[in-house]
Amino acid sequence: MTPLAVTPAPAAPRALARQRRRTALLSAAAVALLVVLTAVGLGTGEVSVPPVDALRGLVGLGDPGTVMLVQELRAPRVLSALAAGAGLGVAGAVLQRVARNPLASPDVVGVTGGASLGAVAAIATGASAALTPLAALLGGLLAAVLLGLLAWRGGFTVSRLVLVGIAVQSGLAAAVNLFIVRFPRELASTALQWTTGSVYGRTWTEFGAGGAAILAGIALALACNRRLAVLDLGDDTAGALGLAPRAARLHLLFLAVVLASVAAALTGPIGFVALAVPHVVRFLAGPPTLGTLALSGLTGAALLLGADLIVLHLLPVQGLPVGVVTATLGAPWLLVLMLRQMKPNAGSTTR
Amino acid sequence: MSATKPSTSTSTSTSTNASATTSADAAVSTADTASTGRLAAHGLTLGYGGTVVVDGIDLALPGGAVTAVVGPNACGKSTLLRGMARLLSPTAGTVTLDGSDVHRMPARALARRMGLLPQQAVAPEGITVEALVRLGRYPHQRMLTPWSKADQAAVEEALARTGTTALRDRAVDELSGGQRQRAWIALALAQDTPLLLLDEPTTFLDLRHQLDVLDLVEELNAEAGRTVVMVLHDLGQAARYADHLVVMCDGRPAAAGPPADVLTAELVEEVFRVECRVVPDPETGTPLVVPRARSAKRAARAAS
Repeated sequence: MTPLAVTPAPAAPRALARQRRRTALLSAAAVALLVVLTAVGLGTGEVSVPPVDALRGLVGLGDPGTVMLVQELRAPRVLSALAAGAGLGVAGAVLQRVARNPLASPDVVGVTGGASLGAVAAIATGASAALTPLAALLGGLLAAVLLGLLAWRGGFTVSRLVLVGIAVQSGLAAAVNLFIVRFPRELASTALQWTTGSVYGRTWTEFGAGGAAILAGIALALACNRRLAVLDLGDDTAGALGLAPRAARLHLLFLAVVLASVAAALTGPIGFVALAVPHVVRFLAGPPTLGTLALSGLTGAALLLGADLIVLHLLPVQGLPVGVVTATLGAPWLLVLMLRQMKPNAGSTTR
Repeated sequence: MSATKPSTSTSTSTSTNASATTSADAAVSTADTASTGRLAAHGLTLGYGGTVVVDGIDLALPGGAVTAVVGPNACGKSTLLRGMARLLSPTAGTVTLDGSDVHRMPARALARRMGLLPQQAVAPEGITVEALVRLGRYPHQRMLTPWSKADQAAVEEALARTGTTALRDRAVDELSGGQRQRAWIALALAQDTPLLLLDEPTTFLDLRHQLDVLDLVEELNAEAGRTVVMVLHDLGQAARYADHLVVMCDGRPAAAGPPADVLTAELVEEVFRVECRVVPDPETGTPLVVPRARSAKRAARAAS
């Protein structure tokens, strides 16, 4: 036998290797896009700065006036959008996989509703603006606990979690509206602005804690990727592979809730990002892997920052909150998703 | 084995048979001395909510052998398997694996010793066969360690044994039923455990694919010395492929032992409420259950 006969034909790269390369390329593209968007975000405004100078200003190089403008005024807003977008993207990806439901997202299951309620309550009591994000975080966690208590029947089933979540979200949204209606007029507009989502006027203090929490949460989510993948196989298989499914699901849900609440604390409730990003990533990069989870973070950051820049510079209306743009994009997307879900052969099959 | 092939030249066939038997015996004895995969239940009670499904049973399954659990629907055979695989906590009693309590072991440590093919497994949408099988290495990995050569070798071995190497790049949800079943078995094999539990591995498969799966089980036991415990529906297949048979009835084992001793007409009648004859399988000599013709009985009654 000649060696040639033994060696198989030069095999095309395996599907997994192909996907890995594709994900890496997409991630590189997303990072490049993020750099460009950041430069544009830092450079544009009432005083424009060339993008390269703006990036240099961010790290403290160049003209002191530019450094001051970029670092003190523009960076918190841009970085808040980046961090919140990344957090929402990863939170959505984790939540949709754990809930096994493509429509599960923090804004559907009540977490963002809780965050809104917390923030609006803080504004209503006239607490200082610095407390608003903290109140939002508490509200989000409280909503998650409420959801857990209402959905717990000696265990969680996914459909009950989602249904109860939708009920919780509606209830909380009603409570938010009640607050706004009962407000003194001057506070009402602040509250309304917050509940539509906005990164306007963020400061370093607000960004510091939130950004660190989101970074830590994303790192933890990436470290938990194998658990997510095993959990995807169903409770019995996960159990047979040595992963206690209930505990793992609870940990991952908690992680997603914290990420979404911290993001909401930074920016107010922003719809669509957590819902859409996992689908966009899946469409571009294929079934979930460690790489696609990271890509979800990058895509979420690019999407939110991009939407914020559209709000700032492309729309004729001044001072529109970024949440309005993402929500406007979100409605048709939701429709398309639902239509695809209604196809008879959509969804996973049993063996 | 000797009955499967009609012997033509006596001298050669006996000699090969003899050597085959001794090597099989050797495999069994090494597995026994390694004492891996001996499952036992002690006063085990299992149930869902308030209902008791498996009722205080004592059972010892041999290591290094193939055990089949059979019984009528709702007799508790799948529940028993789930309890032994620790997917259900017992209401009373214990399950031991080689003498140590399964429910007190760390989950991953147990998952390195016992693999399971569940009855209803759902593959995530779009996942490839290779990606699925790789997840079988989960109990062998730590949180941040990279994929190792040993992991890859186990995956290649599992793919090769189940004949799914050529399917590795295909999405699991695009495969036929038989291919999909083999991919899921490959996942359990990649786990590389001395004991393998299979919950109705042949359900929803046509005859040829049923036999493929059962031949694979036999091969895993004979070549790799794995202990296999499986829930089956077909009594003839159970008798053919199992060394040890457990017949469940109303949450308790009605009989357990070698198929030839256990599977009698009286037992089948008592457990399944089916009148039958038990004849030697013309291919293997193992017991074969042949239900009595009911219409003939009616005809006989009408004549008398």
